[in-house]
Amino acid sequence: MLAPRQPEPSQRPLIAVAAATLATAAGVGWLLQRAWKPKGDTNHRAAEALGAGAAILCVSVALDSAIEHYRGGFKDRAMFVGPTMALLGLGAATYIAFRPERANDRAPKIALLTVGATGLIGLGFHAYNILKRPGELDALNLFYGAPAGAPAALTLAGLYGVIAGEMLSSRAYVRTRLPKHAAGLIAFSLLGTVAEAGFLHFRGAFQDPAMYAPVTIPPLAAVAVGGAALTARAIPIAEPLLKATAVLGIAGPIFHAYGIHRNMGGWRNWSQMILQGPPLPAPPAFLGIAAAGLGILPLLNQEAK
Amino acid sequence: MSDFHSPYLTYDVLDKWDSPSWNEQTRGVVRQRLEQVPPRRFLSADQWSLLEAIASRLVPQPDREEPVPIAPWIDDMLHHNHTPGYRYADMPPMREAWRQGLNAIAAETRNRHGKAFEELSPDDQDELLSDVQNNRVESRYWGDLPAGGFFLHHLLKQVVGVYYSHPDAWSEIGYGGPASPRGYARLGPDERDPWEAEELHFEAADA
Repeated sequence: MLAPRQPEPSQRPLIAVAAATLATAAGVGWLLQRAWKPKGDTNHRAAEALGAGAAILCVSVALDSAIEHYRGGFKDRAMFVGPTMALLGLGAATYIAFRPERANDRAPKIALLTVGATGLIGLGFHAYNILKRPGELDALNLFYGAPAGAPAALTLAGLYGVIAGEMLSSRAYVRTRLPKHAAGLIAFSLLGTVAEAGFLHFRGAFQDPAMYAPVTIPPLAAVAVGGAALTARAIPIAEPLLKATAVLGIAGPIFHAYGIHRNMGGWRNWSQMILQGPPLPAPPAFLGIAAAGLGILPLLNQEAK
Repeated sequence: MSDFHSPYLTYDVLDKWDSPSWNEQTRGVVRQRLEQVPPRRFLSADQWSLLEAIASRLVPQPDREEPVPIAPWIDDMLHHNHTPGYRYADMPPMREAWRQGLNAIAAETRNRHGKAFEELSPDDQDELLSDVQNNRVESRYWGDLPAGGFFLHHLLKQVVGVYYSHPDAWSEIGYGGPASPRGYARLGPDERDPWEAEELHFEAADA
């Protein structure tokens, strides 16, 4: 008894969904840009953007780690630390985004340094989680163990916040090295996030061609931002690429929501698929990094003059 | 028989009926198992009652008001000749093996005890089945059918297979039924999804 031959699934819905998602995300991005009204001089604006970027990163980490650690049943008490510290980071970073001139106060600074250090410690915990599994450092454990790079997002958020404070200090290197180093950090952040997304999208076999987006545009943006640290001529290239990266950060959760729909049982099976489908809160990390990067670009320009 | 207590006392897999765990296909299959128990069509009345008696020794269900039906589904399989797609090299084809094997057990019992298998005490039944399993039988009743092979590959596997196809048996062992559409997100050892059966230990009750 042969089952009747199934027709090949059509790719057409994928194209329609991708187009609608990107259009929506671009629209939301445009609205966000219009609503974004930084005040003060270039440094002040950059500090606001860094604070906002760090806040977005913290939202992403808080939700993603809360969901994933819930999946792990908070087996280790230490698993409460990640989401809690992300919330602390969110508070401090939001404060800086609205009051950058207070970024060097003791309380937000201690909070951000703590959050940043927690990220580093988290990297150690995740490495231990991967290595303690049978097979140790093999592809299966890297795919299905604790995500090797994810806690680093907290460290980045902490660094962004600290840099925001430095931007408004009157130290000499604010006008020389700091913007370049910050741009380098943005490039590094992008590449790290690309590695994580690329690794997990490879695990997902790039089954929707849209899954290639985060491994094509953000790496280009990373190169352009890195280039902008060296020469001001790269700035006009870096800006649209960072904006495109930001749009991907907004489009990501919509794509991932569609991915959950495409999984077995769809949204009716949300209790499994929120955990096992594509992670809804992960992609906005790109938005956070891009926002911080867009805030730094004008500083690089200023310096060239 | 030692007392068996399921650790899933509060669990009934049928509670999943309308949950996201099951879909229409799953419900259809389970509904058929519950409501459309097939009538006797292949086995003779004697073979049928012998099979029921054997099944209740292999999978005793003393605590069930309504035991999981086993003979009807084996008869159904034989009626439709739903073989596994192969046959054992040292045994006749499936239907023939079942007829021959059940008749041989009936003859073996009559020869030893002078009465039917169903009329024996549980201990005598177990002893006889144990002899069949270990080939301690008279070859004139069995012909070319290996008694131990029939017991293991046909009788035992089918009886246990049919038993554990029933939702009552699933509830007993904490099984969730088909993992479709909702499967499992927590796959490591000793990990449990909220929609899985929960193991309860009543150590105080045992003391």
